[in-house]
Amino acid sequence: MSTLLPPPAEIAKIPVDWVEERSGLISFGKFMLFRNVPKDISWLQTLGSALITVFILQATTGIVLAMYYQPDPDTAWNTIKFITDDATLGWLVRGMHKWGSSVMVVLLFLHMGRTFLFGAYKYPREMTWITGAIIFILVMGMSFTGYLLVFDERAYWATVVGVNINGTAPILGPTLSYILMVGPEISTHTLSRFYALHMLVLPSAIGGLIALHLWLVIRLGVTSPPWSRMQSNEGDV
Amino acid sequence: MPRLTTRERRERYEREYSFQKRHGKPFFPNAVFHDTIVSLVVVALIMGMTILWHAQFGGVPGEGTAERIGGLLGPAYEAKADPGVLGYDPRPDWYFFFLFELLRIFKTPELLIVGSIIIPTIWMVLLIGWPFIDRNPDRRLSRRPIALALGVTVPIVLLALTFYGSKAPGAAGAVSNEPGAAAFAAGSCSTCHTLANAGTAGNVGPVLDQAMPDYARVLDLVTNGQGGMPAFKATYSEDEIKCLAGYVATWAGATGTTPGPNAASAKDVYPAACAKAGGLFAGTAASAAGP
Ligand code: HEC
Ligand code: HEM
Repeated sequence: MSTLLPPPAEIAKIPVDWVEERSGLISFGKFMLFRNVPKDISWLQTLGSALITVFILQATTGIVLAMYYQPDPDTAWNTIKFITDDATLGWLVRGMHKWGSSVMVVLLFLHMGRTFLFGAYKYPREMTWITGAIIFILVMGMSFTGYLLVFDERAYWATVVGVNINGTAPILGPTLSYILMVGPEISTHTLSRFYALHMLVLPSAIGGLIALHLWLVIRLGVTSPPWSRMQSNEGDV
Repeated sequence: MPRLTTRERRERYEREYSFQKRHGKPFFPNAVFHDTIVSLVVVALIMGMTILWHAQFGGVPGEGTAERIGGLLGPAYEAKADPGVLGYDPRPDWYFFFLFELLRIFKTPELLIVGSIIIPTIWMVLLIGWPFIDRNPDRRLSRRPIALALGVTVPIVLLALTFYGSKAPGAAGAVSNEPGAAAFAAGSCSTCHTLANAGTAGNVGPVLDQAMPDYARVLDLVTNGQGGMPAFKATYSEDEIKCLAGYVATWAGATGTTPGPNAASAKDVYPAACAKAGGLFAGTAASAAGP
């Protein structure tokens, strides 16, 4: 056996090649990074990636909060108090999650506004818009379910009112309120249900839809701005 | 622009887009650079808000379940939720203000569902289905007058609703001096019910001036609850419930100082029960300094 090792750069390539050979992930990554985008895309087209950043931020801070939080009407508020007052940098984690949610809603509106004004939902990007629109509605669901979790006065009464608004719908309304609250009043079960929705059901649905949304964006490419002068002169219709 | 067949549309799109890509620039580092800057700005903004929020916190309250106050960006947390608390004025987070305001506009029981269900549903259907509604293939705004008009009006309407929603007065308005009025207005009843005599404009439950229930009915509902109406037997004492029931039966549908049509059903207990219940129940508006 030879004692001669390949140069370091070659060694570093070994795991990369190993992964590439088995999954093709490396060439996919390269394709993603080095694919061409229209020359004149603008700053307005960075809002989507900012949303990914905020989503990741919400997920990370949310996981940390979940390590301390207890979804029980007797203790929920106390755990929030503990996170805010006592836990090391707890206020920072909770605050980033809280304000991150507001910023995310604003960014959603801006991103939606930009794709609307660019006409970016037109052929062939209809599905990109539709997945986005569903994400938007689910994010509003995140806000609604997250609001109760603090279990202070505001959280409690806003949720009572919110659930009862649902209840005004004909036929399905009262049933829907009942399902949301798990009974006629906000109770232990309501809190567990909101918690399960807020940290399991909705985030995984949103995560999955974001993946689909991004896949569509990569597959179809981002639109050039409608004011783009980049027209092929191979004859316009 | 003339309507195109599906095939023409595809070919045209592919021709244009492949041209733009051929003459484009690689995603990395160009777009990635811009994306990173904007992401950093956004994270800095969130962190800045958090730090400002935290910097203005008051001291940790001594009492176990009290609010810890804050400044510009609101308290650290409000007092622990207490379903029986007197005088809370519920308010959603700001991004639901537009809905809150819609509900205030359509607050009569017949119209409530317009604001609560019909408009939001139409809005969601339009949102999801929009690519199928707007069939105009052109993307230049100058050739999309309808989309442009919508793109300007919708944000203005949403902003206006959000603005007025944020300034919406609390549920409690002018309270009369009748015994029980202050308790009704300051208590959670005001959150859900409109009752002119108590000056409340809640719109979750029925408008009591229109329902005009008699004493037995109010007593039953407040004690045991029903549907969206919570039971209060664990919250209020028997006298307090009798006082509220008597008050509602007497003053629902009242005109000025003339009691409503069901006043007689409560005459045996009201206002005697209120005096017995004492405190806010016996008191007048002056003692009901709710938030
Ligand atoms: C969380 C919201 C809520 C609160 C708080 C609330 N109610 Fe109700 N109330 C309702 C709803 C919803 C109904 C309709 C119930 C039904 O018909 O199923 C109702 C019904 C009633 C009725 C029957 C009206 C009729 O149609 O005859 C009376 C009386 C009443 N409430 C009085 C009160 C009083 C007094 C209080 C305060 C102690 C109170 N409510 C607190 C939501 C509420
Ligand atoms: C968490 C939520 C979302 C994330 C992470 C996200 C992410 C992205 C990203 C990274 C892009 C690439 C271009 C850009 O950044 O502008 C994009 C494009 C797009 N998004 Fe979103 N988006 C979200 C929500 C939405 C919503 C709510 C809508 C509309 C209802 C929407 C509609 C679109 C459309 C139509 C495009 C194609 C734009 C083009 O090709 O120019 N997205 N999205």
